[in-house]
Amino acid sequence: MSDLSPWLEVVLRAVAVLAAFLVLPLLVGQTEHKVMAHMQGRLGPMYAGGFHGWAQLVADGVKFVQKEDITPARADRWVFRLAPFVALIPYLVALAVIPLSPRVVGADVDASVVLVLAVIGVGIIGTLMAGWASANKYSLLGAMRAAAQLVSYELPMVLAVASVALAAGTLSLVGIAEAWNPWWLVWQLPGAVVFLVAALAELQRPPFDMPLADSEIVFGAFTEYTGLRFAFFLLAEYAGIVVMSLLFAVLYLGGWSGPLEEWLGWLWTLLKGFLVAVVVIWLRVSWPRMREDQLQRLAWMWLVPMALFQLALTAVGVVVHP
Amino acid sequence: MTTRDLVFTAVGVVTALSALLSVTTKHVVHAALWLLVSLGSLAGAYLVLGQELVGLVQLLVYVGAIVVLVLFALMLTRAPIGPHAEIDTPWWQRVAGALLGAATTVLLGSLLLPLFSGATADLDTPTTTTPEVAQAVFGTWVWPFELLSVLLLVALIGAFAVSRLVLHREGAEDRRPVTAGAPAGERR
Amino acid sequence: MADGMLPGLVKGLATTARSLTRHTHTAEYPDVSPALPPRSRGVIALTEENCTSCMLCARECPDWCIYIDSHKEELPPTTPGGRARQRNVLDRFAIDFSLCMYCGICIEVCPFDALHWSPEFEYAELDIRDLLHEKDRLGAWMATVPAPPALDPGSADPAEVTAAAKPPRGSAGVAGAAGGTRGAGAAARPARVRREATSATAVPAPEAEQTRVMPAAAGRTASQPAAEQSALLPPADGAQAEEAADQASAQGDSTQVLPTVSTDEERE
Repeated sequence: MSDLSPWLEVVLRAVAVLAAFLVLPLLVGQTEHKVMAHMQGRLGPMYAGGFHGWAQLVADGVKFVQKEDITPARADRWVFRLAPFVALIPYLVALAVIPLSPRVVGADVDASVVLVLAVIGVGIIGTLMAGWASANKYSLLGAMRAAAQLVSYELPMVLAVASVALAAGTLSLVGIAEAWNPWWLVWQLPGAVVFLVAALAELQRPPFDMPLADSEIVFGAFTEYTGLRFAFFLLAEYAGIVVMSLLFAVLYLGGWSGPLEEWLGWLWTLLKGFLVAVVVIWLRVSWPRMREDQLQRLAWMWLVPMALFQLALTAVGVVVHP
Repeated sequence: MTTRDLVFTAVGVVTALSALLSVTTKHVVHAALWLLVSLGSLAGAYLVLGQELVGLVQLLVYVGAIVVLVLFALMLTRAPIGPHAEIDTPWWQRVAGALLGAATTVLLGSLLLPLFSGATADLDTPTTTTPEVAQAVFGTWVWPFELLSVLLLVALIGAFAVSRLVLHREGAEDRRPVTAGAPAGERR
Repeated sequence: MADGMLPGLVKGLATTARSLTRHTHTAEYPDVSPALPPRSRGVIALTEENCTSCMLCARECPDWCIYIDSHKEELPPTTPGGRARQRNVLDRFAIDFSLCMYCGICIEVCPFDALHWSPEFEYAELDIRDLLHEKDRLGAWMATVPAPPALDPGSADPAEVTAAAKPPRGSAGVAGAAGGTRGAGAAARPARVRREATSATAVPAPEAEQTRVMPAAAGRTASQPAAEQSALLPPADGAQAEEAADQASAQGDSTQVLPTVSTDEERE
């Protein structure tokens, strides 16, 4: 890879990241279709593509492309049209810096943990823009809920990640995963729980899907969207699951550490991330939606103290056993 | 003129233009969004200059949190779609604002340009990496840092106290006084 | 956080995980046809020969979705100096399945077993007007009507069997039986059987076996049990009268047809 000219390498890496960005969310989406169906005693899609409906999401994509792209008459046109991309692109950037193995990484950045957290925080602006520009009360309510939720859960998430970074002594994802050892499973357990819960909330996945709550506010900020723009929001959600799952795998499950990690490291990371994604789906199927006040209470009364406790625990561990 | 120069110029132009748009637009939410672009491209400028950590923290704090809060507050109160008549300013205020802005720019330019015009830094091997920034903040500058955090804490507690005071004056019977740190209604 | 929340959450996870490992309940209908319970109500089939145009079904139908047109025909006397008889001829029998609510009252009230439930249900149409099944289509469903359920082992013989087993009362009945056994609709419906092999005790005579075809067919033969059945059934039976008419026309006699108009006059 180092023999190639730098520009070609950049292009190749970008194409690879884009391909992963388009394929992995579909994989997670299809897994969700099937796992959720079987958890509810159903079969899920069976026709598209022939074998157990494997091409269902491709068919969905084709359908979305064919649909009319509607912008409401009283909407703020440009903000409305820009919002899906603002929601989508941060996850693309985040996916680019998450390493699958020390060598398989889109862009090796020094402080990649901070970068991932920063761009994920930007994603919410897409939802806010969509909700406000739609000129729809439900959309605005959804955006408000989303913003309140994300501001609340950003803090425990950052604290949990800070604890891992403290334990590893680096802000680089590659460095963190290399510093990982199996003891972390116990040592960083509270932080892992906090991270998983906060990630679910950031993704607005059930049981934290208050901003979308279809039984209350239609579809939250995305109510007025159709066609490809709506598909972009959905893609952003599933890309978010991919990013969060891979991040969890790298931060708390040791990423590529496993048998034959010289050659199969990237596979281990993907597998661990996939497992986390299945857990995310499992939680969605099993638990009901939380109320807005319960949601805020969980963040401030439980997750933040837990994350602070984890931070203290990590600090003690680092000082006592450097 | 290297690639870095080009990128830096582009990012700088975007920053300045969006900042200008953010103060001249008559749409409240658009102003906040332009501010967002401005702060985001400022982070880009930091990145181009090799200060990765500063750029990312700028993104995390300003774009990801502060502007989100600003947008949140705007949308929660009153932010109609379309131009907002109430934020229109008289012509003399605009002239005064433009003059002040120009004066500040000239002042800063005339001060900083002679000071740092000769200074060079090798951006490909940055000297201020993340560990060094950490060393500086928690070593050399630890007392100012702690002082600042205490100041922020005081401001936080003050904000809570003020909000509680307002609630008391309105005479909400069922709301018991709550100490700082927990939002109203969260304690049993 | 309420107490007992954590066990509840774990229980929810366990429930979904358990159903993940079990069989699904999805009915893959177009690929796998459903296992319908016996006597499923799919569509209503018509044995046209059994219908006497008595209009009971049409009148009892809560939705008024049965349309019957008929006329009367005059049959010449079978014996010289005898009395001419009238019989109803069915012109149209139609059920509008876009109105039908599948209550089955028409089938219950039909005294001549002309209507039956068929389990076939795949007759959806793109045009709702095509759900009006005329008598040829209703008759085509007859092939799909399942055999009647077997009788309980200890039950009494079906009425037609006991009737057939009785010795004839008069010679005139025997002559009628000889003429009438080749009924037109005899193959319309399979025979009713008893659940266990009790034929040795219950059915003594071989000719009784032979006549155990179906209630309507037994009634149509109107042979030996004519005296008993005349109390239950109207005397003029469709198939028999039709045969008589055929015979009459074969002999060259002009059949006097007296058309009468019934229910739906706006439909011809």
